[in-house]
Amino acid sequence: MVLIVNTTKDTSITKELQALTGNKGIETEIVEAGDMKISHCIGCNYCWLKTPGVCSIKDDYEEIFKKIIKADDLWVISDTSLGFIDYKGKNIFDRILPIATMYLKFKGDQMRHIARYDKSPDIGLIVTGEADMDYLDKWVLRCAINFESTALGAFGKDELEEAVSCM
Amino acid sequence: MHVMIINGSPRVKKYSNTDKILAKFTAGFTAQGNTFEQYEVSDRKHWDSIREAWDKNDNILMAIPLYVENLPGLLLEFLATVTPKDGTAKIAYILQGGFAEGSQLRCGEEYLVMLSKRLGCEYKGTLVKGDNFSIRFFEGEQQDKVTGPYQKMGEVYGRNGDFFDDECKKFTGPEVFPAHIRFLVGIIFKMFAKNGFKKIAKGWGCDKPLDYRPYGA
Repeated sequence: MVLIVNTTKDTSITKELQALTGNKGIETEIVEAGDMKISHCIGCNYCWLKTPGVCSIKDDYEEIFKKIIKADDLWVISDTSLGFIDYKGKNIFDRILPIATMYLKFKGDQMRHIARYDKSPDIGLIVTGEADMDYLDKWVLRCAINFESTALGAFGKDELEEAVSCM
Repeated sequence: MHVMIINGSPRVKKYSNTDKILAKFTAGFTAQGNTFEQYEVSDRKHWDSIREAWDKNDNILMAIPLYVENLPGLLLEFLATVTPKDGTAKIAYILQGGFAEGSQLRCGEEYLVMLSKRLGCEYKGTLVKGDNFSIRFFEGEQQDKVTGPYQKMGEVYGRNGDFFDDECKKFTGPEVFPAHIRFLVGIIFKMFAKNGFKKIAKGWGCDKPLDYRPYGA
Protein backbone atom coordinates (compact mmCIF):
# COMPACT_ATOMS: atom_id res chain seq x y z
CA MET A 1 0.00 0.00 0.00
CA VAL A 2 1.22 3.48 -0.91
CA LEU A 3 0.54 5.94 1.90
CA ILE A 4 0.27 9.57 0.83
CA VAL A 5 0.30 12.16 3.60
CA ASN A 6 -0.68 15.60 2.38
CA THR A 7 0.47 18.26 4.85
CA THR A 8 -0.76 21.10 2.64
CA LYS A 9 -4.32 22.36 2.40
CA ASP A 10 -4.29 21.96 -1.38
CA THR A 11 -6.30 18.81 -2.11
CA SER A 12 -6.06 19.20 -5.89
CA ILE A 13 -2.70 17.38 -5.79
CA THR A 14 -4.09 14.37 -3.97
CA LYS A 15 -7.07 14.27 -6.34
CA GLU A 16 -4.69 14.18 -9.29
CA LEU A 17 -2.54 11.53 -7.59
CA GLN A 18 -5.65 9.47 -6.90
CA ALA A 19 -6.55 9.56 -10.60
CA LEU A 20 -3.01 8.76 -11.76
CA THR A 21 -2.52 5.88 -9.31
CA GLY A 22 -6.03 4.59 -10.01
CA ASN A 23 -5.22 4.32 -13.72
CA LYS A 24 -2.19 2.21 -12.85
CA GLY A 25 -3.99 0.04 -10.30
CA ILE A 26 -1.77 1.21 -7.44
CA GLU A 27 -3.34 0.73 -4.03
CA THR A 28 -3.12 4.01 -2.13
CA GLU A 29 -4.30 5.50 1.11
CA ILE A 30 -4.44 9.26 1.30
CA VAL A 31 -4.31 11.19 4.55
CA GLU A 32 -5.29 14.84 4.31
CA ALA A 33 -3.20 16.19 7.19
CA GLY A 34 -3.33 19.89 6.29
CA ASP A 35 -5.80 20.66 9.07
CA MET A 36 -4.72 17.93 11.47
CA LYS A 37 -3.22 18.65 14.84
CA ILE A 38 0.36 17.43 14.48
CA SER A 39 2.96 18.78 16.88
CA HIS A 40 6.68 18.99 16.32
CA CYS A 41 8.95 16.35 17.91
CA ILE A 42 10.06 17.62 21.32
CA GLY A 43 13.10 15.34 21.51
CA CYS A 44 12.03 13.73 24.78
CA ASN A 45 13.39 10.28 23.74
CA TYR A 46 10.42 8.60 25.45
CA CYS A 47 9.70 6.61 22.26
CA TRP A 48 13.11 4.99 22.67
CA LEU A 49 13.59 4.78 26.42
CA LYS A 50 10.36 5.16 28.39
CA THR A 51 7.44 3.95 26.26
CA PRO A 52 9.28 2.05 23.49
CA GLY A 53 7.65 2.62 20.10
CA VAL A 54 5.05 5.06 21.43
CA CYS A 55 5.33 8.84 21.05
CA SER A 56 4.61 10.82 24.19
CA ILE A 57 2.67 13.44 22.24
CA LYS A 58 -0.99 12.56 21.93
CA ASP A 59 -2.28 14.16 18.76
CA ASP A 60 -3.38 13.20 15.24
CA TYR A 61 0.04 11.79 14.33
CA GLU A 62 -0.45 8.46 16.11
CA GLU A 63 -3.05 7.28 13.56
CA ILE A 64 -0.71 8.28 10.70
CA PHE A 65 2.18 6.46 12.36
CA LYS A 66 0.15 3.24 12.58
CA LYS A 67 -0.35 3.46 8.81
CA ILE A 68 3.32 4.28 8.15
CA ILE A 69 4.59 1.06 9.74
CA LYS A 70 2.30 -1.01 7.48
CA ALA A 71 2.89 0.92 4.25
CA ASP A 72 5.20 -0.08 1.39
CA ASP A 73 5.78 3.55 0.44
CA LEU A 74 5.41 6.78 2.37
CA TRP A 75 4.91 9.85 0.20
CA VAL A 76 4.76 13.19 1.96
CA ILE A 77 3.33 16.21 0.19
CA SER A 78 4.73 19.37 1.69
CA ASP A 79 4.82 23.08 1.08
CA THR A 80 8.27 24.67 1.15
CA SER A 81 10.04 27.35 3.13
CA LEU A 82 13.63 28.62 3.08
CA GLY A 83 14.50 26.29 0.19
CA PHE A 84 13.46 23.18 2.09
CA ILE A 85 10.19 21.50 3.10
CA ASP A 86 8.19 23.54 5.58
CA TYR A 87 7.78 22.67 9.24
CA LYS A 88 4.53 20.79 8.68
CA GLY A 89 6.22 18.41 6.27
CA LYS A 90 9.30 18.10 8.47
CA ASN A 91 7.22 17.26 11.53
CA ILE A 92 5.94 14.15 9.73
CA PHE A 93 9.54 12.96 9.36
CA ASP A 94 10.74 14.05 12.82
CA ARG A 95 7.85 12.23 14.52
CA ILE A 96 8.70 8.96 12.73
CA LEU A 97 11.39 8.21 15.31
CA PRO A 98 9.45 5.44 17.14
CA ILE A 99 10.01 3.36 13.98
CA ALA A 100 13.58 2.86 15.23
CA THR A 101 14.81 1.43 18.52
CA MET A 102 17.45 2.87 20.81
CA TYR A 103 19.76 0.01 19.85
CA LEU A 104 22.60 0.73 17.47
CA LYS A 105 24.55 -1.13 14.82
CA PHE A 106 26.86 -0.41 11.93
CA LYS A 107 25.40 -0.62 8.47
CA GLY A 108 28.14 -0.21 5.90
CA ASP A 109 30.49 2.34 7.40
CA GLN A 110 27.91 4.30 9.39
CA MET A 111 26.07 3.84 12.67
CA ARG A 112 22.33 3.23 12.43
CA HIS A 113 19.50 2.60 14.80
CA ILE A 114 18.12 -0.92 14.67
CA ALA A 115 14.63 -0.85 13.12
CA ARG A 116 11.67 -1.69 15.40
CA TYR A 117 9.58 -3.37 12.73
CA ASP A 118 10.30 -5.91 10.03
CA LYS A 119 9.75 -3.43 7.24
CA SER A 120 10.06 0.31 6.78
CA PRO A 121 8.36 2.22 3.97
CA ASP A 122 10.30 3.56 1.02
CA ILE A 123 10.31 7.35 1.07
CA GLY A 124 9.13 9.86 -1.54
CA LEU A 125 8.52 13.58 -1.40
CA ILE A 126 6.32 15.94 -3.41
CA VAL A 127 6.71 19.67 -2.82
CA THR A 128 4.30 22.39 -3.80
CA GLY A 129 6.60 25.41 -3.63
CA GLU A 130 10.06 26.58 -4.63
CA ALA A 131 12.95 24.60 -3.11
CA ASP A 132 16.42 23.35 -3.91
CA MET A 133 15.36 20.10 -5.58
CA ASP A 134 18.88 18.67 -5.82
CA TYR A 135 19.25 19.08 -2.07
CA LEU A 136 15.83 17.56 -1.42
CA ASP A 137 16.78 14.51 -3.51
CA LYS A 138 19.88 14.12 -1.37
CA TRP A 139 17.91 14.65 1.82
CA VAL A 140 15.32 12.00 0.91
CA LEU A 141 18.17 9.61 0.23
CA ARG A 142 19.60 10.24 3.70
CA CYS A 143 16.15 9.81 5.28
CA ALA A 144 15.75 6.46 3.56
CA ILE A 145 19.15 5.33 4.86
CA ASN A 146 17.98 6.22 8.37
CA PHE A 147 14.73 4.31 7.94
CA GLU A 148 16.47 1.28 6.38
CA SER A 149 14.47 1.73 3.20
CA THR A 150 14.82 3.09 -0.32
CA ALA A 151 14.58 6.69 -1.53
CA LEU A 152 11.97 7.24 -4.21
CA GLY A 153 12.97 10.83 -4.92
CA ALA A 154 11.77 14.39 -4.53
CA PHE A 155 9.36 15.85 -7.08
CA GLY A 156 7.66 19.15 -7.74
CA LYS A 157 3.87 19.37 -8.02
CA ASP A 158 4.22 19.60 -11.81
CA GLU A 159 5.99 16.21 -11.83
CA LEU A 160 3.21 14.03 -10.43
CA GLU A 161 3.34 11.54 -13.32
CA GLU A 162 7.04 11.03 -12.67
CA ALA A 163 6.34 10.59 -8.94
CA VAL A 164 3.63 8.02 -9.63
CA SER A 165 6.00 6.10 -11.90
CA CYS A 166 8.17 5.59 -8.77
CA MET A 167 5.29 4.33 -6.60
CA MET B 1 32.25 41.12 19.66
CA HIS B 2 28.63 40.69 20.71
CA VAL B 3 26.67 37.72 19.40
CA MET B 4 23.05 36.69 19.50
CA ILE B 5 22.82 32.97 20.20
CA ILE B 6 19.76 30.96 19.29
CA ASN B 7 19.42 27.52 20.82
CA GLY B 8 17.40 25.77 18.11
CA SER B 9 16.60 22.70 20.17
CA PRO B 10 12.92 21.86 20.67
CA ARG B 11 13.83 20.18 23.95
CA VAL B 12 13.18 22.22 27.09
CA LYS B 13 16.29 24.04 28.32
CA LYS B 14 16.72 21.85 31.40
CA TYR B 15 17.20 18.70 29.30
CA SER B 16 18.74 20.31 26.22
CA ASN B 17 22.11 18.82 25.21
CA THR B 18 22.59 21.84 22.97
CA ASP B 19 22.17 24.14 25.96
CA LYS B 20 24.85 22.26 27.89
CA ILE B 21 27.17 22.54 24.89
CA LEU B 22 26.45 26.27 24.73
CA ALA B 23 27.26 26.69 28.43
CA LYS B 24 30.83 25.51 27.76
CA PHE B 25 31.10 27.26 24.41
CA THR B 26 30.07 30.64 25.83
CA ALA B 27 32.49 30.24 28.76
CA GLY B 28 35.28 30.15 26.18
CA PHE B 29 33.71 32.85 24.02
CA THR B 30 33.39 35.38 26.87
CA ALA B 31 36.87 34.71 28.29
CA GLN B 32 38.33 37.42 26.00
CA GLY B 33 35.67 40.00 26.85
CA ASN B 34 33.10 39.02 24.21
CA THR B 35 29.44 39.24 25.15
CA PHE B 36 26.31 37.35 24.12
CA GLU B 37 22.57 37.11 24.56
CA GLN B 38 20.97 33.66 24.34
CA TYR B 39 17.46 32.60 23.35
CA GLU B 40 15.67 29.26 23.39
CA VAL B 41 13.35 28.39 20.51
CA SER B 42 11.75 25.64 22.63
CA ASP B 43 9.71 28.26 24.49
CA ARG B 44 7.19 29.79 22.09
CA LYS B 45 6.41 32.52 24.60
CA HIS B 46 9.81 34.03 23.77
CA TRP B 47 9.49 34.03 20.00
CA ASP B 48 8.62 37.76 19.87
CA SER B 49 11.76 38.58 21.88
CA ILE B 50 13.88 36.36 19.63
CA ARG B 51 12.54 38.08 16.51
CA GLU B 52 13.23 41.47 18.08
CA ALA B 53 16.82 40.43 18.87
CA TRP B 54 17.17 38.96 15.35
CA ASP B 55 16.28 42.34 13.85
CA LYS B 56 18.77 44.18 16.07
CA ASN B 57 21.81 41.88 15.91
CA ASP B 58 24.32 41.44 13.09
CA ASN B 59 26.32 38.59 14.59
CA ILE B 60 24.20 35.47 14.98
CA LEU B 61 25.12 32.00 16.17
CA MET B 62 22.57 29.25 15.86
CA ALA B 63 23.10 26.03 17.81
CA ILE B 64 21.19 23.12 16.31
CA PRO B 65 20.61 19.48 17.16
CA LEU B 66 20.28 17.45 13.96
CA TYR B 67 16.75 16.07 13.53
CA VAL B 68 16.30 13.66 10.60
CA GLU B 69 19.23 15.06 8.63
CA ASN B 70 18.21 18.70 8.94
CA LEU B 71 16.75 21.30 11.31
CA PRO B 72 14.12 20.30 13.87
CA GLY B 73 10.56 21.08 12.75
CA LEU B 74 10.08 23.63 15.51
CA LEU B 75 13.15 25.61 14.44
CA LEU B 76 11.96 25.57 10.81
CA GLU B 77 8.61 26.89 12.04
CA PHE B 78 10.32 29.71 13.92
CA LEU B 79 12.71 30.67 11.12
CA ALA B 80 9.82 30.97 8.67
CA THR B 81 8.63 33.90 10.80
CA VAL B 82 11.81 36.01 10.86
CA THR B 83 12.51 38.85 8.44
CA PRO B 84 15.59 38.03 6.32
CA LYS B 85 18.54 40.33 6.96
CA ASP B 86 19.98 42.65 4.30
CA GLY B 87 23.14 40.65 3.60
CA THR B 88 25.46 42.45 6.01
CA ALA B 89 24.73 40.23 9.03
CA LYS B 90 26.93 37.22 9.75
CA ILE B 91 25.69 33.82 10.79
CA ALA B 92 27.55 30.78 12.09
CA TYR B 93 26.26 27.47 13.39
CA ILE B 94 26.97 24.77 15.92
CA LEU B 95 25.53 21.55 14.51
CA GLN B 96 25.46 18.59 16.87
CA GLY B 97 24.00 15.12 16.77
CA GLY B 98 23.92 11.70 18.34
CA PHE B 99 25.77 9.54 15.83
CA ALA B 100 29.50 9.88 16.29
CA GLU B 101 30.77 10.19 12.72
CA GLY B 102 31.14 13.57 11.03
CA SER B 103 29.67 12.18 7.81
CA GLN B 104 26.29 11.85 9.54
CA LEU B 105 26.00 15.63 9.88
CA ARG B 106 27.10 16.70 6.40
CA CYS B 107 23.63 16.71 4.84
CA GLY B 108 22.49 19.08 7.58
CA GLU B 109 25.61 21.21 7.20
CA GLU B 110 25.02 21.53 3.46
CA TYR B 111 21.57 22.96 4.14
CA LEU B 112 22.97 25.55 6.55
CA VAL B 113 25.05 27.09 3.76
CA MET B 114 21.88 27.52 1.69
CA LEU B 115 19.85 28.65 4.69
CA SER B 116 22.28 31.49 5.39
CA LYS B 117 21.57 33.00 1.97
CA ARG B 118 17.83 32.60 2.44
CA LEU B 119 18.13 34.40 5.77
CA GLY B 120 20.09 37.21 4.12
CA CYS B 121 23.24 36.50 6.12
CA GLU B 122 26.87 35.91 5.29
CA TYR B 123 27.80 32.28 6.12
CA LYS B 124 30.56 32.05 8.73
CA GLY B 125 30.90 28.30 8.97
CA THR B 126 29.53 25.42 11.00
CA LEU B 127 31.10 23.70 13.97
CA VAL B 128 30.15 20.09 13.33
CA LYS B 129 30.27 17.34 15.94
CA GLY B 130 28.36 14.21 16.81
CA ASP B 131 28.47 11.72 19.69
CA ASN B 132 26.46 14.02 21.95
CA PHE B 133 23.38 11.88 22.59
CA SER B 134 24.34 10.92 26.11
CA ILE B 135 25.00 14.43 27.49
CA ARG B 136 21.61 14.57 29.23
CA PHE B 137 22.28 11.28 30.96
CA PHE B 138 25.62 12.39 32.37
CA GLU B 139 26.42 14.72 35.21
CA GLY B 140 29.51 16.43 36.64
CA GLU B 141 32.86 15.31 35.30
CA GLN B 142 31.35 12.73 32.96
CA GLN B 143 29.26 15.43 31.26
CA ASP B 144 32.19 17.86 31.22
CA LYS B 145 34.23 15.28 29.34
CA VAL B 146 31.78 15.51 26.43
CA THR B 147 30.91 19.21 26.58
CA GLY B 148 34.27 20.58 27.83
CA PRO B 149 36.03 20.64 24.43
CA TYR B 150 33.44 23.17 23.20
CA GLN B 151 35.01 25.78 25.51
CA LYS B 152 38.12 25.92 23.34
CA MET B 153 35.93 26.29 20.25
CA GLY B 154 34.18 29.22 21.94
CA GLU B 155 37.57 30.87 22.30
CA VAL B 156 38.38 30.28 18.64
CA TYR B 157 35.01 31.71 17.55
CA GLY B 158 35.51 34.67 19.88
CA ARG B 159 38.85 35.36 18.23
CA ASN B 160 37.95 34.73 14.58
CA GLY B 161 34.19 35.28 14.39
CA ASP B 162 33.85 32.16 12.27
CA PHE B 163 34.43 28.38 12.18
CA PHE B 164 36.73 28.27 9.17
CA ASP B 165 39.86 27.56 11.20
CA ASP B 166 41.54 24.14 10.78
CA GLU B 167 41.09 23.61 14.51
CA CYS B 168 37.30 23.78 14.04
CA LYS B 169 37.44 21.32 11.16
CA LYS B 170 39.48 18.87 13.23
CA PHE B 171 37.00 19.22 16.09
CA THR B 172 34.51 17.10 14.12
CA GLY B 173 36.61 13.98 14.56
CA PRO B 174 36.53 11.10 12.08
CA GLU B 175 34.20 11.23 9.08
CA VAL B 176 33.78 7.46 9.38
CA PHE B 177 35.42 5.00 11.71
CA PRO B 178 38.04 2.63 10.29
CA ALA B 179 36.87 -0.98 9.90
CA HIS B 180 38.66 -2.31 13.01
CA ILE B 181 37.11 0.41 15.20
CA ARG B 182 33.68 -0.35 13.73
CA PHE B 183 34.22 -3.99 14.64
CA LEU B 184 35.13 -3.12 18.23
CA VAL B 185 32.33 -0.57 18.64
CA GLY B 186 29.91 -3.14 17.19
CA ILE B 187 30.88 -5.50 19.99
CA ILE B 188 30.46 -2.72 22.56
CA PHE B 189 26.96 -2.05 21.19
CA LYS B 190 26.03 -5.70 21.59
CA MET B 191 27.68 -6.35 24.94
CA PHE B 192 27.49 -3.11 26.94
CA ALA B 193 25.55 -0.31 25.26
CA LYS B 194 22.31 -2.33 25.25
CA ASN B 195 22.56 -2.85 28.98
CA GLY B 196 23.36 0.82 29.49
CA PHE B 197 20.24 1.85 27.59
CA LYS B 198 18.16 -0.73 29.47
CA LYS B 199 19.39 0.72 32.75
CA ILE B 200 18.46 4.27 31.72
CA ALA B 201 15.03 3.02 30.57
CA LYS B 202 14.43 1.27 33.89
CA GLY B 203 15.32 4.48 35.69
CA TRP B 204 12.73 6.27 33.56
CA GLY B 205 10.07 3.77 34.61
CA CYS B 206 10.04 1.77 31.36
CA ASP B 207 8.39 -1.62 31.81
CA LYS B 208 8.73 -2.91 28.22
CA PRO B 209 11.67 -4.25 26.23
CA LEU B 210 13.25 -1.46 24.19
CA ASP B 211 12.45 -3.26 20.93
CA TYR B 212 8.78 -3.61 21.90
CA ARG B 213 6.26 -3.35 19.04
CA PRO B 214 3.23 -1.53 20.44
CA TYR B 215 1.24 -1.60 17.21
CA GLY B 216 1.84 -5.23 16.26
CA ALA B 217 3.14 -5.49 12.69
